[in-house]
Amino acid sequence: MVKQNDLNFDYKFGFSKPEKSVFRVKKGINEEIVSQISKIKKEPLWMKEFRLRSYRFFKKTKMPEWGADLSKIDFENIFYYIRATDKAMNSWEDLPSEIKDTYDRIGVPEAEKNFLAGVSAQYESEVVYESIQKELTKQGVIFCDMDTGLKKYPEIVKKYFGTIISPYDNKFAALNSSVWSGGSFVYVPRGVKVALPLQAYFRINARNFGQFERTLIIAEPESFVHYIEGCTAPIYTTSSLHSAVVEIIVKPGARVRYTTVQNWSKNVFNLVTKRARVEKNAVMEWVDCNIGSGVTMKYPSCFLVGDGAKGEVLSIAYAGSAQHQDAGAKMIHMAPNTTSRIVSKSISGHGGRTSYRGLVQVLPGASNSKVYVSCDALILDEESRSDTYPSMKINENEVDIQHEATVEKLGEEKLFYLQSRGISKSEAEGLLVNGFIEPVVKEIPLEYSIELNRLINLEMAGSVG
Amino acid sequence: MKYINLNLTKQSKLIFNSPGDYIVYFENLSGDLVFDIKSSGVNLNIYGLYTGSKNSIYKVNTFQNHLEPSSTSDLLIKGVFYDASKFYYRGLIRLEKNAQKSHAYQKNQNILMSKNCYVDSKPYLEILANDVFCTHGSTTGKLNQDQLHYTMTRGLSRKASEDLLITGFINEIKQKILPKAQSI
Repeated sequence: MVKQNDLNFDYKFGFSKPEKSVFRVKKGINEEIVSQISKIKKEPLWMKEFRLRSYRFFKKTKMPEWGADLSKIDFENIFYYIRATDKAMNSWEDLPSEIKDTYDRIGVPEAEKNFLAGVSAQYESEVVYESIQKELTKQGVIFCDMDTGLKKYPEIVKKYFGTIISPYDNKFAALNSSVWSGGSFVYVPRGVKVALPLQAYFRINARNFGQFERTLIIAEPESFVHYIEGCTAPIYTTSSLHSAVVEIIVKPGARVRYTTVQNWSKNVFNLVTKRARVEKNAVMEWVDCNIGSGVTMKYPSCFLVGDGAKGEVLSIAYAGSAQHQDAGAKMIHMAPNTTSRIVSKSISGHGGRTSYRGLVQVLPGASNSKVYVSCDALILDEESRSDTYPSMKINENEVDIQHEATVEKLGEEKLFYLQSRGISKSEAEGLLVNGFIEPVVKEIPLEYSIELNRLINLEMAGSVG
Repeated sequence: MKYINLNLTKQSKLIFNSPGDYIVYFENLSGDLVFDIKSSGVNLNIYGLYTGSKNSIYKVNTFQNHLEPSSTSDLLIKGVFYDASKFYYRGLIRLEKNAQKSHAYQKNQNILMSKNCYVDSKPYLEILANDVFCTHGSTTGKLNQDQLHYTMTRGLSRKASEDLLITGFINEIKQKILPKAQSI
């Protein structure tokens, strides 16, 4: 292994390939461009109208006045649709060598060899590669990109699309609804337990190009699925925008786990709306790791609408130099006997800023609800900052609500002990930080947790006190 | 030791310029309550008590601003809410860059005695220094049902049991401030 210089390491995945896009619409956004996107994709009329309605709302909505600084986003300077190759391909060999090379560097084939159920790799704005294992099809599970989903399963898509996150929810959900492209469509039939996690890799590879993927997961009663999303992106100097929408419907007795390992390069604005509707006795788990991007604003939510529904968010945020991770969770209790748990671990170093922002709301009638929130933050140096902004709105007395948060630095005694055993300071710091996030890391699949630990060590290597 | 009762002094902003132990107490106050710590060696305890009934509404925002290193602030706000009362609490601990070696704590505990009351609790932290220790906690719920059951098995009525438990809940604060308040 090549030893990296401790103080001056390059972003591991910061390489870029020459752009070779077959088609792109003009820069900027207006009704014409929105209609054009819909036309190119040969979409049904209802989707075109949905896009236009969303665009009108996007246009008249103000930027959010809270949270991270978004003033550097220039909506007119972004390409809203690019297609890298003409159509989605089925086997790895058929992919253009350039694209394959890019994936090789992140290790997609390696991961696939191991235990991928299916890869749906989004290169630029459309899914160009997808391989669905035979068992999935046999079980009746649908796993494809959203555009294919709309073409092949219009009834299912029309029934659920935009029902969990309305385009009028917020400015960025509206933007995504008007120009969305790609993303995954997952449908799991009643009683089917998908044994292997479904994975998708997302990647931005064009200057100034925003990626607006749209994901819809429907888990029928008593089913189970684990969906994993991981991203790495090349470095660019101009700002990029990533604004996704993820909608999940967890029907009675079903369980869905959604794992994200987000490692965009630092010029990316990552503004994502993620929400799940959790029905009777169903379980929704979000595992959310934010390591990259310049600015992230993301609050995975669970709407606990059925008796006995359970929601969980496990979150890790790391903010290094010039990064602001504004992440958190939302839990809305709308039915009796619902439980929610939020565990957030954030680390800020090299002048980075992490903010936990969360909402727990217990509506009248949601009796016997239980809520547990725990946010821990580590601040590695005096340039860095950590904030905690929780909100608890309780409208029911038969409840048990607990919230706790701590902010501290790395324990000096622990560091001293490790160093006295002959471990270098940066290694000891890496060890302690990895220990700090361990309760969440152990919930994500091995290959990701290894990558995450490696990333943390890489980040820590530069923090010489 | 300095004891300050905000209900008597009617202050909404306190500035701590010299080291020492301070205790601040207030009851059912709405509005902004600002505590600026501008000296090292300040040891500040803040106690707030709220009891809401009928249609009462309290909206309080507390600010623990640490501007200098090596001070401690510890805030505890307790509330008991009946009927359709509403309580909006937003507490901010802000440790500036210069406030290294600060300890800041914040705790908000609420008991809801009716289905119709409403509590909105926002314990915020903004930490710009790294060599610090900060925690906040918030709990909201009904009376401990095990304790209630126990006192009722001893022959107390439900009402008397509830009153007893609530008195105990409130007394945690009263006991901390009473001796000080009387000595002044």
